[in-house]
Amino acid sequence: MQSNSSNNNNQPQTSHTSTSRSSDSGEACGGGNKWASKLLSECARAISEKDSSKIHHLLWMLNELASPYGDCDQKLASYFLQALFCKATDSGQRCFKTLATVAEKSHSFDSARKLILKFQEVSPWTTFGHVASNGAILEALDGESKLHIIDISNTLCTQWPTLLEALATRNDETPRLKLTVVVTASIVKSVMKEIGQRMEKFARLMGVPFEFNVISGLNHIGELTKEGLGVREDEAVAINCVGALRRVEVDERNSVIQLLRSLSPRVVTVVEEEADFSSSRYDFVRCFEECLRFYTLYFEMLEESFAPTSNERLMLERECSRNIIRVLACDEENGGGECERREQGIQWSGRLREAFSPVGFSDDVVDDVKALLKRYKAGWALVLAQGDNHESGIYLTWKEEPVVWASAWKP
Amino acid sequence: MLEKIMATEEAITSSNNGFVQNPVGGSNPPALKKKRNLPGTPGKLTNFIFKNIDSSIYADPEAEVIALSPKTLMATNRFLCEICGKGFQRDQNLQLHRRGHNLPWKLKQRTNKEVKKRVYVCPEKTCVHHHPSRALGDLTGIKKHFCRKHGEKKWKCEKCSKRYAVQSDWKAHSKTCGTREYKCDCGTLFSRRDSFITHRAFCDALAEETARVNAVSSIHDLTAGSINYDLTGNPLGPNMAQHFSSIFKPISSNDNQTRQGGVSLWMNQGLAQVSEAMGNNIQEVHQLRSVTSSGAMFGDLFAVSCSQTPPSDHYQLNWPVFGNKILSDAGASQLASVPSLYSSQEQQSHRTAPASMSATALLQKAAQIGATSTDPSFLGSFALKSNANKVQDASKFYGLYGSSPVSTNPASDVESSGNDQISTLNQLQMYPSKRQKIFQSDQDSPSGGQTRDFLGVGVQAICHPSSINGWI
Repeated sequence: MQSNSSNNNNQPQTSHTSTSRSSDSGEACGGGNKWASKLLSECARAISEKDSSKIHHLLWMLNELASPYGDCDQKLASYFLQALFCKATDSGQRCFKTLATVAEKSHSFDSARKLILKFQEVSPWTTFGHVASNGAILEALDGESKLHIIDISNTLCTQWPTLLEALATRNDETPRLKLTVVVTASIVKSVMKEIGQRMEKFARLMGVPFEFNVISGLNHIGELTKEGLGVREDEAVAINCVGALRRVEVDERNSVIQLLRSLSPRVVTVVEEEADFSSSRYDFVRCFEECLRFYTLYFEMLEESFAPTSNERLMLERECSRNIIRVLACDEENGGGECERREQGIQWSGRLREAFSPVGFSDDVVDDVKALLKRYKAGWALVLAQGDNHESGIYLTWKEEPVVWASAWKP
Repeated sequence: MLEKIMATEEAITSSNNGFVQNPVGGSNPPALKKKRNLPGTPGKLTNFIFKNIDSSIYADPEAEVIALSPKTLMATNRFLCEICGKGFQRDQNLQLHRRGHNLPWKLKQRTNKEVKKRVYVCPEKTCVHHHPSRALGDLTGIKKHFCRKHGEKKWKCEKCSKRYAVQSDWKAHSKTCGTREYKCDCGTLFSRRDSFITHRAFCDALAEETARVNAVSSIHDLTAGSINYDLTGNPLGPNMAQHFSSIFKPISSNDNQTRQGGVSLWMNQGLAQVSEAMGNNIQEVHQLRSVTSSGAMFGDLFAVSCSQTPPSDHYQLNWPVFGNKILSDAGASQLASVPSLYSSQEQQSHRTAPASMSATALLQKAAQIGATSTDPSFLGSFALKSNANKVQDASKFYGLYGSSPVSTNPASDVESSGNDQISTLNQLQMYPSKRQKIFQSDQDSPSGGQTRDFLGVGVQAICHPSSINGWI
């Protein structure tokens, strides 16, 4: 099981291949070695150049060194190797489907809940967007008595308890809230019924008149309609898109944004991860490099946030591996809301400006987010977007790298 | 009881010939008020008595009423040294400072003869303290009041971004911010409010809770909007509420304590999905282990167990199962479950759950009957005579209190309505702050042993800071 026992080539840094070695957390990922990225990049280049023997050689090397249970380098090597292999053998789609099916089967309400709550405890990766969005929504809908929030996300409604609490406490007149959740991830669909029941109970507890609906039968978001969503004329609508726009096929993004505009929302909150897998989608090597850059950050963040043997972290890493395969080894035309081609805040802003104008986060909201970040381990910071009065959103940075972008828009 | 109290009130007010207007006319008349702390002794509960209604909330009719302007109230350091220009809040301090300049100084002595008592009114017209009958007796008090209620909130807590107008309030809050623990019914403790709220929404313990809530939800909704706990100016408030919450805390904590396996309830359900990767099981075993062995049952389970060094043998046991390389690894493998360990926990939790239900069900019944209660000395004094129109009476009360910001005893509101809804009090801990704003600010005041003694309820402090994993 120890991979170094079978090394008989010139291997770079064989000392890193022991799988039972616990990560020296300082060195594991951030340290100077980075053998994984070198090998992986080389392999990606070989694939794009269709250099068969080189491909084989590198794939074999990576296979020897990689492990999903080792340090960061080993993990990255492992998951990216899988994607490269699928790309080289044109089996990406099949592999992705298999992994997705397995994951779906082993997910349940409890495991999903545990996973996401744990993640939110140890890292502000998701809660950053939640706090910012909730702040913007509350401010935009202040004074309204009938609220309708359209939540296009896969966050299992973990964003909403704090909003419900705020609705219950902020005003003397607690408004009515209708929450319509649009889910696209198949894993999430199966647990939404239970989630809905919990939310209803919780809203009762908070004393907020509450209605909950789930829309999960869509093939893609473009099929949404005002009637289908149950939007009524007397409601104040907010649309909350967390990790939602990236799941739309690249060529359809602008029309989806127009669709959102047609729902006449008071505010649209958009939260996305800061990476560009979209503009380089026809350039494999460039896309690969960007993918590697982003997921290296993500894996390092996971490693530093979770305990070394955390099962939740393993689940999250596996989810990444599915996404990596999806981006690198699957063809475009596969719809189903599983696109995963991220874009950067600037790119999204460009699209959104066609239909909306930006709303800056108020000082209060920014303060709330900063206070949130303080409750986590060091390394996290909030950075305002450059130019035009910080109106194009805020970034969550980890070790000074922007990783998540949050913004608010109005028609 | 109530009639007696009201009669006493009338007797007092009618003798206030200095103030012709009977208080009912102008500001909201407090028909049932508790004795307040005298201004100048904030945060300390000196005497909490229902029976002796004291007229101290009304300004002495003989006193001289002073109306200062907002500018004067907000001004600090009005007394300036002529030599160096240093400002002081009090003349005494300036005099002492003058000694340093070798200037003639004189400390004013308190005169022995009766000093004419001064009371101060708030310049804000809409404020209840604008009326001379509700003037405050202390200059510092009126300054703080004006600043708190009508001033700009310039001081902000870094940790939670809560805002304060008075610097001392902000300082007091900052000391305790983040040290407060929130306890879920399932037993888990949180030091972060937002994690607590999110956890609560998805916690299995919520299912039982809502059964109780539903039973009284109609009454709850009625009173929900009319209770105003805006107490920021009232140092008494937090203590009052504390009593009420502490009466009921034992109940909820009993729930938790009897449900020792309560936490495992959640974990057990997760374990039902045993075909998941082995890590799950190992995690659970480890957590349960740490629960039973360390006894720190109510720590933040995940953080505690995750941050402890897990027994390495578990992992080495199982990693080899996944030892095959990536390319041949199609997915998760199956692992045998560890049923025996968990089933015993499960039984325990199922057994104890009914016990906890009956305790609260008892209280509910008691509340509905009205006259009887589990704590007669305390609740009895509040018993509304007419049980039939309980709701009506309750709203009558609220009408009287109205939106008086300096209302007495918001906790009493809680109590009266709480008689109807034990469940809300069970949720006091994390109840929306509007209704229990006192809980937010109760950090400002010490929860002293005096309160416990008075209530005759031996209350164990729920929050044990020592067992909390702080940074969560």
